Amino acid sequence: MWKFSLRRILIMIPQLFALSLLIFILAKMMPGDALSGKIDPNIDPARIEELREEMGWNDPWHEQYARWVGGVVKGDFGQSFRFKMPVTEIIGQRIVNSFWLSLVTLILTYLIAIPLGITSGRFNDTLRDHLITGYSYIGFATPLFIFALVMLWVFGFQLQWFPTSGSVAPGLEPGTFDYVASKLYHLLLPAFSMALIQTYSTIQYLRNEIVDTKQRDFIITARAKGASETRVYNNHILRNSLLPIAAFFGYEITLLIGGSIFVENIFGYPGMGQLLVESITLRDYSVVTATTLLFGVASVLGALLSDIILSIIDPRIRIK
Amino acid sequence: MRKTNLMKLLFALMLSVLLVLAACSKDSSSDPKGNDTKTEGNAGKDKEKDKGEILFSQDDFEMTTSNSGEPIGGTLNFGLVSDSVFEGTLNWNFYDGDPDSQVIKWFDESLLDMDANFTYTQDGAATFKTEPYETEEYPNGVTIEFTIRDNVNWHDGEPVKAEDWAYSFEVIGHPEYTGVRYGPDFSDIVGMDEYHAGKADTISGIEIVDEKTLKVTYKQSNPSLLTGGIWPYAMPKHIFKDIPVAKMAESDAVRKNPIGMGPYKVESIVAGESVVYSKNADYWRGEPALDKVVLKVVNPKTVVQELETGGVDMINAFPGDQFVDNADMSNVEFLANIDLYYAYIGFKLGTWDAEKKRVKMDPNAKMADVNLRKAMAHAVDTDSIGKKFYNGLRWKATTLIPPSHPEYHDADNPGLVYDPELAKKILDDAGYKDVDGDGFREDPNGEQLVINYAGQSGSDVAEPMAKYFIQAWENVGLKVQLLDGRLHEFNTFYDRVGQSGEDDPAVDVYGGGWGVGSDVNPYGLYGPDQMFNFPRYESEKNSELLAKGVSMEAFDVEYRKQVYKEWQQLMTEEVPVFPTLYALELVPVNKRVVNYTLDRNVNSLYEVGVTQEEPFKAEKKKK
Repeated sequence: MWKFSLRRILIMIPQLFALSLLIFILAKMMPGDALSGKIDPNIDPARIEELREEMGWNDPWHEQYARWVGGVVKGDFGQSFRFKMPVTEIIGQRIVNSFWLSLVTLILTYLIAIPLGITSGRFNDTLRDHLITGYSYIGFATPLFIFALVMLWVFGFQLQWFPTSGSVAPGLEPGTFDYVASKLYHLLLPAFSMALIQTYSTIQYLRNEIVDTKQRDFIITARAKGASETRVYNNHILRNSLLPIAAFFGYEITLLIGGSIFVENIFGYPGMGQLLVESITLRDYSVVTATTLLFGVASVLGALLSDIILSIIDPRIRIK
Repeated sequence: MRKTNLMKLLFALMLSVLLVLAACSKDSSSDPKGNDTKTEGNAGKDKEKDKGEILFSQDDFEMTTSNSGEPIGGTLNFGLVSDSVFEGTLNWNFYDGDPDSQVIKWFDESLLDMDANFTYTQDGAATFKTEPYETEEYPNGVTIEFTIRDNVNWHDGEPVKAEDWAYSFEVIGHPEYTGVRYGPDFSDIVGMDEYHAGKADTISGIEIVDEKTLKVTYKQSNPSLLTGGIWPYAMPKHIFKDIPVAKMAESDAVRKNPIGMGPYKVESIVAGESVVYSKNADYWRGEPALDKVVLKVVNPKTVVQELETGGVDMINAFPGDQFVDNADMSNVEFLANIDLYYAYIGFKLGTWDAEKKRVKMDPNAKMADVNLRKAMAHAVDTDSIGKKFYNGLRWKATTLIPPSHPEYHDADNPGLVYDPELAKKILDDAGYKDVDGDGFREDPNGEQLVINYAGQSGSDVAEPMAKYFIQAWENVGLKVQLLDGRLHEFNTFYDRVGQSGEDDPAVDVYGGGWGVGSDVNPYGLYGPDQMFNFPRYESEKNSELLAKGVSMEAFDVEYRKQVYKEWQQLMTEEVPVFPTLYALELVPVNKRVVNYTLDRNVNSLYEVGVTQEEPFKAEKKKK
């Protein structure tokens, strides 16, 4: 098990290196740079050229890459041109928001998906099952960016149950109860929008797993021994069926990242996803590369986590 | 066997058709931008059909709120319309995006006021007088003596001093300064070059006479100084003095607890999202009318809903393409003013010489013939474009100085009017004839003439508009094609047009737009040594007129008006570019808001108030 994990982690290093190279080259290939948006007769083009030179944007790309990697290794992602502050600091501000949004989304996803999955698996091929699988197919088919907009329109503007933008109400003292409550209130709607249509995988896995386990020999044995139906489901079937769900936990993280990019932009929620999109449009390279790299690392780590959990619960996967 | 296969195939085909149809219908029926759905659902199809025919003009709008009541204190919610966060560089010396300037203007302001012609007046926080400065080195220099009013204080109670103002110059000119503001406005100060190069510790042309008096000496006296050429913002030295210049932009004094001398104080900031301001009772113009101002970022997609529900009382700018559907919003008053903007079509006449840092005109350029350019200008009906694409919110432009500068805009100059017959005649006379009978004109040498047009993508009307231009030119017999067959995204577009001096030779004609500054002087856009002179155009007469516009004589406004009148005429004769559209800026304001105006020469932000605690909400449309 340790050997396997170590090997998986070692594979990560070239993966991350290739990723960073790819990200950097792609970012530099984008037309324009952070200063090219400053086409403004009030700003002196000579000053812009001077700044480009100071930032080293005129150097060959491999020199810039070496400089960048050198910084990244030391934990320094450089200076954001747009925000005029260190990238680490900006990401520090945003990553907290994204973390809470992801966490709440994950909790909501499981809260919705697990009971539905169990019901669906236990009563398979009944009306209940059809309704639930129907819902999960619709969730699978609905594009998040449309669904989130509909949610925003209905619950944010028509019913006005939820705030429609931002991460916290203006003017609250950080650390107070009101502040925390307001933060939670602001992230509920985006989290719900993501959770409601992200449940399909969990529901389907769980359902299939339960349907599968139901017919196993040990369940028949348990029934034959006279165990009650509740006991059979709670102790025997559920325990076995939840394992794959745990294993896919890592992949959920990747899904969350993809989702956050849409959701944060639609709800004006200042997290990493919104930061990434804005930085791309405004060509703030240092932020683009840093956020993409972090997203990349999170995905790779998620996959690693899944592999490790899988290897724990299923010894067949361990590679010798 | 065969039959079942066929059936299967048919079934698969039907399924995919079904999918496509479903996808299409989803797009239109559940488009949740709200406004679209509303027009469909409530107004029915008739209105939809008429949409292109509803016309507005500047006369439909007021510049100032109608003021139905007295202000009662209270809180105003201000929406900053932006699809991104504000960067949070909250200092005039360091900011470089419009969102930040919208945040700063509530708590800090210029020391000098401007009048309708964007000329500094004596009504601001500082007054000034000029005296000539004549030395051998600078025979036409000028010293300007500023006196800051006694009752002008920073939010922390410290008076705004001469050294605070001087400090702004010292910071912007500093070799380690990180912002974009440094430029000719600063290097024209005596001694600034040495200071900027790090050779001097002080700027010899800036003298602090006493606590409230500052003297700044410029190498060359010119009228542009008084129309925005003087940096009018001070910076609290007692707060910044211990921060190294290179670190200032990221310091807390800029980002977390900035202070200023404006009507409202910053109370708290949620980075990138919102700012709460409270009243600065000590404000020098008088006590502000509101107790609090809450500013928050509003996405352009949801701005209509925010306004209807009273979530925000007013915003900085309304997205023009959403106006027609929302013109009858019942709880707001739409104000408008002429935007500092014109759209234009430019012709590439040469390239940029990076070594000499000036334009290099190419007499053999495809567009070098002025008759061809004139014909192309006469061929497009900009009036219809404004009506059809913008419902009159943008309208036909005539000259290169927009009417936002009322004194300098030459209203009598009709520009190059729409006249396709004249265009054809000009082309015929200049020898552009269709020799090979393909329906398109060849150039005077009888060779194929294919003109490449570069257009910017982005807005909904970008594509149809580009098509319209090409169609209009085709109607007079010119073959124009879209560069690469498509529109280009902002960055790519300006890269190829030549923002870094590397012009793409494939571009012959391009559609651009300029936001103009407060200073009417067009040198920065049409001067021969200016990078932003994208047409790469130069002529003796042009250089002469541009120089005259900033000469000593031009301190006489009548003289300057005459010079720029001639220049506007010259541009319609030589046509390096031709203007297409002027624009209106639109600002909806909740009906409880009073004393708000878009008039640029009134500094009445502190008088803006609300007449009741709760904002008005839009009534549900009944139709």
